[in-house]
Amino acid sequence: MVSIETSENTSADANSVQGFGSFSRRNFIRAAALTGSIVVVPGFLAACGSPKTAPTNAMLRVGWKSDIDTFNPFTTVTTEAIEVQSLIYDKLMDYGTDLKIEPSLATSSTAAGNTITYVLRESVTWHDGTPFTADDVVYTFDLIGKNQLGINAQWLTDYQSVTAPDAKTVVVAFKAPQAFDPGLVIPIVPKHIWEAKTVEQIKKDTNASPIGTGPFKFEARTQGQLVSVTRNDTWWGKAPSAIGVSWSLYTNDDLQAQALKNGDIDIIPQVAPTVFDGLKADKDLTSVALDSFSFHHIGVNVSKVPGSKGNPLLLQREIRQALGYALDRDQIVQIAYAGYAKAAASILPPSFGDSYWEPSADQAINNNPDKANALLDAAGFTKRDSKGIRQTKDGKALSFRIIAISSTSVDVRTAQLFQASAAKVGIKLTLAALDSDTLASTVYNTDAPDWDLFVWGWDSGVNDPSYLLGVPLTSQIGGNNDVFYSNPEYDALYTKQATEIDPAKRVELVKQMQQMFYEDCAYLIPVYLEKLQSYRTANWSNLTETPGGIVFNFTRDNYLKAQAGN
Amino acid sequence: MPYIARRTLTLLSSIVAIVTFNFLLFHIIPGDPIRLIARSQHLTADEIAKLHHEYGLDGSLFSQYLTYLKNLLHGDLGFSFTYQEPVIDIVKRTVGNTALLLTTSTLIVVIAGVLIGVFAGSRHGKRSDSSTVIAALVAWSLPTFWVGMLLVFTFGVWIGGLPISGIKTPHAIYDNIFQKWQDIGMHLILPTLTLAIVDIAFFVIISRTSLIEVMSEDYMLTARGKGLSRRTIVWGHGFRNALLPVLTASVLYISALVGGAIQVEVVYSWPGMGLLTYNSVLSRDYPVLEACFLITAVAVLVANFATDLLYHKLDPRVGVQK
Amino acid sequence: MNDVTPTHPTGMVRQLWRLGLGRAGIIILIAVAFAAIVGPMIFPFDPAAVGADASSILQAPGNGHILGTDELGRDVFSQLLTGARISLFVGVMATIISTIIGASLGIFAGYYQGPADTVLMSITDFFLVVPALPLMIAMGAIFGQNLSIIILVIGFLSWPRTARIVRSQTLTLRERQYIPRARSLGAKNMRILRVNILPHVMPLIIANTILVVAGCILSEATLSFIGLGDPDRISWGSMLHFSFVSGAIGRGAWWYFLPPGIGILFVVLGFTLAGQALEQITNPRLAADV
Repeated sequence: MVSIETSENTSADANSVQGFGSFSRRNFIRAAALTGSIVVVPGFLAACGSPKTAPTNAMLRVGWKSDIDTFNPFTTVTTEAIEVQSLIYDKLMDYGTDLKIEPSLATSSTAAGNTITYVLRESVTWHDGTPFTADDVVYTFDLIGKNQLGINAQWLTDYQSVTAPDAKTVVVAFKAPQAFDPGLVIPIVPKHIWEAKTVEQIKKDTNASPIGTGPFKFEARTQGQLVSVTRNDTWWGKAPSAIGVSWSLYTNDDLQAQALKNGDIDIIPQVAPTVFDGLKADKDLTSVALDSFSFHHIGVNVSKVPGSKGNPLLLQREIRQALGYALDRDQIVQIAYAGYAKAAASILPPSFGDSYWEPSADQAINNNPDKANALLDAAGFTKRDSKGIRQTKDGKALSFRIIAISSTSVDVRTAQLFQASAAKVGIKLTLAALDSDTLASTVYNTDAPDWDLFVWGWDSGVNDPSYLLGVPLTSQIGGNNDVFYSNPEYDALYTKQATEIDPAKRVELVKQMQQMFYEDCAYLIPVYLEKLQSYRTANWSNLTETPGGIVFNFTRDNYLKAQAGN
Repeated sequence: MPYIARRTLTLLSSIVAIVTFNFLLFHIIPGDPIRLIARSQHLTADEIAKLHHEYGLDGSLFSQYLTYLKNLLHGDLGFSFTYQEPVIDIVKRTVGNTALLLTTSTLIVVIAGVLIGVFAGSRHGKRSDSSTVIAALVAWSLPTFWVGMLLVFTFGVWIGGLPISGIKTPHAIYDNIFQKWQDIGMHLILPTLTLAIVDIAFFVIISRTSLIEVMSEDYMLTARGKGLSRRTIVWGHGFRNALLPVLTASVLYISALVGGAIQVEVVYSWPGMGLLTYNSVLSRDYPVLEACFLITAVAVLVANFATDLLYHKLDPRVGVQK
Repeated sequence: MNDVTPTHPTGMVRQLWRLGLGRAGIIILIAVAFAAIVGPMIFPFDPAAVGADASSILQAPGNGHILGTDELGRDVFSQLLTGARISLFVGVMATIISTIIGASLGIFAGYYQGPADTVLMSITDFFLVVPALPLMIAMGAIFGQNLSIIILVIGFLSWPRTARIVRSQTLTLRERQYIPRARSLGAKNMRILRVNILPHVMPLIIANTILVVAGCILSEATLSFIGLGDPDRISWGSMLHFSFVSGAIGRGAWWYFLPPGIGILFVVLGFTLAGQALEQITNPRLAADV
């Protein structure tokens, strides 16, 4: 019959609704869902005080709006899951709060020719007590490299072999020198737990009780509500002050903000622009707007597979460029993001420093309805129907479908604004808001993608341009490539820059790539995000305001450095 | 055939009708359900065929129906790909929360509604009666979800003081079970109040009308003739007889109650079946949606059955003609 | 045979006006109809026009915006008037569908009786008991979210009440003397239905219809609030939906979440008052005068 709650730890926070990746790497998403645990006992109103919450100098409570998909690092795609996994698993090297590379499971990483050599830390144990050895590193790299498994496979495309010449050294060999150290992203998993599984089994494994070497151990998970980890007191590094970390799911921006205001949670990693001002005004909170390595984008279906159900008109560059000219980025910044974003152009946000490229005034494809109209007229779409929508010569309307995640209000607003802009140049857009799971599965349908345009976003997985630049690769079709873009020239440039060690030369190549992709208009990028975050000042201190975010960033250091109390 | 047996037969046939209706409704969904429930996992042609077979989708509509019935009898409500678990497990977790909410509000609504309605009816023709009716009509015209929004604003943002979401305080640690009940009780206040404000009007109007009709009947004149006090007349005689039509009307109420519960659960993020229904719509998780609808409908049918039996017990004349 | 029941529309309205509540209902409805029809023609802002910059978002009333702005900087008052049209349109259209189905089935069942009656009434009772909102939600999810489908779904779930009432009335009328007499004179069924039964059932149908409109408007508002409304249209329900999800409550933007709710309340109240009063007039048995 009905179940009675058994564990006090799995709190029945009723904030449930699925939804993933407000702006996250997301791919073959699995889960999410909700449901609270049940209380069969009737509530009564006793007169005394309210229940104690965990002493706030212990648990770091995060409130987010999308659930994790899985604990399996080989199949995960959501930012949320990667965030949690970064505390359970260690990588060989890692980013500090200043985003500089620091030793982690490896005390050093040395690149020489086509190899990278890692010297491993000693006396490290897994959460289940088994000692960590070089075999675990060898197993992990080989599994990903040989089978090109998961999102981290893109860093091992040149993988050749991995060996452990002695108990504390691992040497990874590639077919060419690597500009990016994959030890920075690959979480090391325990061989003794994973080796019994076949690759097929690994692909379906939910890894419900993950074992890692990280500073926090898995504690509990209630799907659609709560994920929590507790401090690993036998961790090799300096023990964190927090006794644990929990992430609670909220469906509604308002409710999430209220929860922060009345102390139910300690930090919100992605504050919605409309509630941010309210939080800024609250004296108990520290609210920040940080530069990020993220953007939101409008993707255009340029898949060429015969089964594609995307509108074939979008394969014509003039139409995509016309849409680009119709898009008013400043309006989106102001209205959809309440001013808390930056107008964008190319695929790399400015935080990438030298690699950042910006089109000049004549190269810019933005907010120019006259140019859009001219392009469409020149391409022959001069016929219009009774409502002013352009038509092809055989009478087909220039009408496209656009989808967005319903719980990501900034995306829905972006789509609404874009609809109005497109109408001005004679293109009709029909909006459908879906939940993130459905959107992801609709978009990433490689054989028969049934969509025309979407609004979504990306966070860079690493502090290196290769991640975002690697998304539109032909080889990433079936992987990250969400628009099925395929351009051999682009692919060639990517390979070149990935193996170019001279930084100045690399920057040149990277800029060429950005311009090429920008002009092709398969992505129309309206904004670079500002990471809006807010936390309770009295509960936690020693948090560094790193570009990219205090949490939800490449670095997990703030979880480790956070000091309870003020 | 005795009334109870007949009524039970009606119940069973209604349940069968609902099950069939449910099946038909969810099997005319456009598109390939396998694609939809398998989400974004890449499937080979073999795997697709296997899943079609597992879900019994490769037979005729009738054989699919039989499989569906067989599964239902085994308590198998399907598998949710969003949650990656059997639907029955998800339902078990949520149905109790909704039951708690509905039981509490129904108690309040029925008791308070009938009392107010009878009171107003006894003052028929006077000011207090008319103002009560007007208040009730206004309350009945309110959208439940909007009342919820106003209460959230008042007690969550403006004045504050009451919890506005969830069933418990997140990460709460309780010293004893009373604290837990108290926490839940606090969280129950606003959702219950939201449902009550609108639904109470229903009972006020029905019981008032019913009392007025009863008061004008012959046996009431007799009672007055006997010299019984007004109080005894109303509360002793009138009340009991007025209750019967109220029971009949409850049939309509129960149906409406379910709608109200969904709205309340959505506004307050109360983790019950209403919120589950809402979420399953967002994610197009049809197995879950189907199960929610079926359970809700069957619950309503059973509640009506119980009401009818109660009515029959109170007034055995009923059951001859509807 | 009590023929005080007016069958002529003017008679009905006159009687309605005499009842206090009926009068209130009519006044409210006229005001709303006026606002819905005339309003969009006179207000200064295009309801779709978004604001110029971030400061125009969720602004309190002022600067020419009588009811402030929404999360996209659009004028709330203009949206309120535009939304009135959709809410009323859906309510009325759904009711028309439901009344046509319900009244036809009710008359048919009540007149011909027998097995047809039993079957029809079982179906009717089935839909009376099935919880409406979950079914509407399920159907909305399956069939899609455009306006016509919403109208059909709401209409489809509102006919049972009409059918029941019309059937009862038809049954009563059927037993009257002149029917068998007309029959024996050779009049066909259809003619009897048209001439003898329909005019006497009409007032009841009309009274019931008005009440059904109230229900349909509430249904549309609820569906839109949940997010199953037509995304291309502004209705009061969708305004409340957006105010709820865009943080208007947390910001205390009462100008955004109060007026649409008040609008729904007034319209539903207007129809309810008028409908209740009409029911009293057309069905004296129900007269528990206020």
